[in-house]
Amino acid sequence: MKHILLACSAGMSTSLLVSKMKEAAEAKGIDAEIWAVAQDKAPKEMERADVLLIGPQMRFMKKKFSKTAEEVGIPLDVIDPMAYGRVDGEAVLNKALELIGE
Amino acid sequence: MNRFMEVLENILMPIADKLNNNRYLTALRNGFMVALPFIIFGSIFVVIANFPFLDKWISEDAYAAYQAALGPASASTLSIMGLFVILGIGYKLTEHYGGEAIYGGAVALASFLILTPQVIDFVTSADVTEEVGGVIPTASLGAEGMFLGIFTAFIAAELYRFFVQKDWTIKMPAGVPDAVSRSFSALIPITMTLSTFLVVRIIFSYTPFGTVQDFIYTLIQEPLTALGSGLPATLVAVLLIQLFWFFGLHGQIIVNSVFDPIWYALNNQNLEAFNAGQELPNIVTKQFIDTFIVGIGGSGMTLAVIIGIFLIGRSRQLKELGKLGAPAGIFNVNEPIIFGLPIIMNPLVIIPWLIAPVVVTFITYFTMAGGLVPYPNGVIVPWTTPAVLSGFLATGNAWQGGVLQLVNIAVVFVIWWPFLKIMDKQYYENEQSAENERNESTNM
Repeated sequence: MKHILLACSAGMSTSLLVSKMKEAAEAKGIDAEIWAVAQDKAPKEMERADVLLIGPQMRFMKKKFSKTAEEVGIPLDVIDPMAYGRVDGEAVLNKALELIGE
Repeated sequence: MNRFMEVLENILMPIADKLNNNRYLTALRNGFMVALPFIIFGSIFVVIANFPFLDKWISEDAYAAYQAALGPASASTLSIMGLFVILGIGYKLTEHYGGEAIYGGAVALASFLILTPQVIDFVTSADVTEEVGGVIPTASLGAEGMFLGIFTAFIAAELYRFFVQKDWTIKMPAGVPDAVSRSFSALIPITMTLSTFLVVRIIFSYTPFGTVQDFIYTLIQEPLTALGSGLPATLVAVLLIQLFWFFGLHGQIIVNSVFDPIWYALNNQNLEAFNAGQELPNIVTKQFIDTFIVGIGGSGMTLAVIIGIFLIGRSRQLKELGKLGAPAGIFNVNEPIIFGLPIIMNPLVIIPWLIAPVVVTFITYFTMAGGLVPYPNGVIVPWTTPAVLSGFLATGNAWQGGVLQLVNIAVVFVIWWPFLKIMDKQYYENEQSAENERNESTNM
């Protein structure tokens, strides 16, 4: 079971991506929990995530999240703007899996 | 152009970084987030209490009774929103420091109340004014107290942390239940913090201002809100939002963390006037920005862009994007458009992207100033409310508000049209030539 956390300003636009990622995961037969939260909830949610992906419009939060991510011991990255704009669930899912290291 | 953008991004990125990772601004933003559900609850009941034409359908007495019955809903939330913001800031800042957050929130609230006037002047007759004690004027918990409340919450949380770190706590012997010893451990820091504020209050009572509230209001809040309610500052804010977004940074969240206290204070001034049946003082408020500038499909009013795509789009790329962006765009979520069109770092769209919101700001401001459209009445409409409905609600159930949004959509569409046309043509030609190449290679 993979736990993939997405964060943006209010968790709205990333939740759009989440539903596409879930579809992609299902199509690939990957057992994954994928969810989106608002940025202020992210540090807490990171405790039960395997990877954190940040919406590109919030990329200035990366530094702040990095500290918590290090403590919890999970990788994080900013979502590619193109994939984000196209709501390309598969590309972002692959990125997440790559970060987890599978 | 690329070099120029690089330079600009190098300037903007650190600003965004600073504003977002500053613990006070983060606590402020999160404090407003705590208050938001309460603000919206109150707003809903202001809307219901002032339902259009209701005063014509039912008798005057019944209407007054109806309004009086619903009044407490907004009077206990929206009108005194400062309390919730203060509680939120104190909580979030203390949580950030790893302290007992609920005490941080409570101590911020108590500190603010200590600084708040606790008498009101009651005019009994034309020339007799009586001072009534045992009261807290609700205005000082809403619009007037906003800035004092924010500063007090910051300082109270800092003092509380300072005194906790000093460790002047009462140590309980082992065996005393944890909750009991915790309540005592908070005692000294809270006593010290509140005493400090009490001293401040006493000192101020000997100054011409009388209360700290008056002092902050006159010296800081009034000048700042006067500045913020003007067109120049509003245009600067709007342009900054657009500019940040152009670089793919969340413009509102960055600009709001500075402007929200001002916009909410202006908003509550209007609400107070609206509830008292007086003339509304401000055009620019939280809702002016949220409903008329941002609330038409999201920052940059991209609902008009989506409509444009449906009307003139020939390229597959834009058509796909339109389908993808429309459902979210109706509810003012426009990241698919911003990142998909793309708007970010796209020199072709920077002109309409920056010009359209400025033009719309002018139109909205002057139609309101000219009396064609009522001012926003102080209710907070959730930002995901679709355009037209949001304009109607924000202006105190006035159809003119919805029509203004439609006009604005048309204006944005006209400004975007030539640029969208060029972009669509480029995409279309690229798609055609890619297809031709594919056909040729299969023919060979």
